[in-house]
Amino acid sequence: MFRTQTGEEVFVIDAHIAWWDGSRDNQLNIHGEQFINCFYDYHKNLSPQDRLWPREKFYKYDKDSLIQDVFIKGYADMAIFQPVPLIEFYKDGFGDVAKNATLIEEYPGRFIGNGYFDPRDGERGLETLQYMAETYHLKGVKLYTAEWRGNSKGYKLSDDWSYRYLAKCEELGIKNIHVHKGPTITPLNRDAFDVADVDDAASAFPNLNFIVEHVGLPRLEDFCWIATQEPNVYGGLAVAMPFIHSRPRYFAQIISELLYWMNEDRILFGSDYAIWEPDWLIEKFMAFELPEDIAEETGTSLTLPIKKKILGENAARLYDIDIEKQRALIQGDKLSVAAVQQR
Amino acid sequence: MQQDEVYEKLSLVYDPELDQSLTELEFIYGVDIDGSEVTVTFRLPTYWCSPNFAFLMASDIRERVLEIPWVEQVTIVLADHSDSEAISHGVSQGKSFQETFPGLSTEELDALRSRFRRKSFISRQERLYRHLVRIGLSDADIVALTVDSLKQLEGINAEGQLLVQKYLSIRDELGYANTPESLAFVQLDGTPIPVGQIAEYMSQSRKTRVAQEVNGVYCRGLLKTRYDHEMTEKWRA
Repeated sequence: MFRTQTGEEVFVIDAHIAWWDGSRDNQLNIHGEQFINCFYDYHKNLSPQDRLWPREKFYKYDKDSLIQDVFIKGYADMAIFQPVPLIEFYKDGFGDVAKNATLIEEYPGRFIGNGYFDPRDGERGLETLQYMAETYHLKGVKLYTAEWRGNSKGYKLSDDWSYRYLAKCEELGIKNIHVHKGPTITPLNRDAFDVADVDDAASAFPNLNFIVEHVGLPRLEDFCWIATQEPNVYGGLAVAMPFIHSRPRYFAQIISELLYWMNEDRILFGSDYAIWEPDWLIEKFMAFELPEDIAEETGTSLTLPIKKKILGENAARLYDIDIEKQRALIQGDKLSVAAVQQR
Repeated sequence: MQQDEVYEKLSLVYDPELDQSLTELEFIYGVDIDGSEVTVTFRLPTYWCSPNFAFLMASDIRERVLEIPWVEQVTIVLADHSDSEAISHGVSQGKSFQETFPGLSTEELDALRSRFRRKSFISRQERLYRHLVRIGLSDADIVALTVDSLKQLEGINAEGQLLVQKYLSIRDELGYANTPESLAFVQLDGTPIPVGQIAEYMSQSRKTRVAQEVNGVYCRGLLKTRYDHEMTEKWRA
């Protein structure tokens, strides 16, 4: 819960968090090390200097840190796990649905745990998805189209098997498909600019919601191009958010382009914890105003109602959360108490 | 000085996506000269930067440096990258993209390169347009500008001159006519921009320009973070 200076209450859903294990013990090979080091570079590059984590902690952090950073310091009423397995880089997976589930159970009403799938897992993978959906009551999945699998270094949402999996999602009530669209790896000669797969899948599955995490950065314009045409495409602000500290003008440009090409109902806040801590992101976002010239160029504005949508109302709608009911549910739970004590 | 000659060539090699030179971006780590053999080492913002772009840059470096008369052999080293070995060896041996990555690619990179050159054209044009609007030109003035009248514009400062230069240079590179009477502001297909549509046209272009700039900031930052202590002392023999 974020409370403005005038006493306005903002319900916050951090739509992109993780509880990863990138530790040396879990690294399967050099890529496991390189991957988490890359994350650490993003963390170092865009965090305020006084909020940097030591590398060892960043490799693997405990649940108390997560709870403290996301809920107590971090203003979140709810948070959504977006796990990524990366089984070719990590022995027990980078993110783990079962491990996340332990936190979900311990703090009722606070978390949403998403699953994942990989269409290259074929028939067996479909069965696993069904099992996962039933066991963990999945409403969403996180997809990493650049994940490696044997000789394959990536897949597309427009592949035949992807279609089968998306159809399965629809059948299983998994409505929200979060797709990482950021720095890409392979197929080598196409993926650099090709967002056709999201465009394709969104058109083919109008009843599914496609949340493009990182709004395609660095391919922002490609994202805007498809989002403007596809009503079921959403933008996840993880990775764009931290610019608010180091490059506020660029953040302004990003958010105003998003508002211009889409609308205020299709943008979701995500901290991408633990790459960045949500508290400073949210504080700066709530205090943020678009520079006049940028606001004029696009005719957009970042009003309080729009911020509230981005910080929680849009995610609530996608995950069928009645904010008032949820507030009542979590009121007075151990996290609320701790959060109040913190302030 | 031989080093200077090489660096001058390197300043003509661009990151295809960021539309800035590798020297500006500080991607060049070092240049080694041994007789007529030159070794250029470069590195990128992340270990996972797209291999296709990395390959393009590596092969462009090789091509440019080979233009120097006394250079007979060029070795490229791409450091700290997921495909360092393949790209360094492939490019140094003059292999094509497909030869370097057999079975993983279906075509060469020309389409990729030209796609991003066209994006750079759009970005440079949009930046110039905004500058001209800021200094008081109307949309009607702008669409009517010829190459000559653009070059002769009054009230244009150093920043503006640079924007004009960059725009004209990419026009030239992409094959648009640059005679004095040629229309300055044209669409990708060479047709004029109708004055009534220029606002809409430039909004579309704006998102390309914003994406490119944000990208540039993002990449530069990541590079600096990655090689923090080394960035302040550029390796130059």
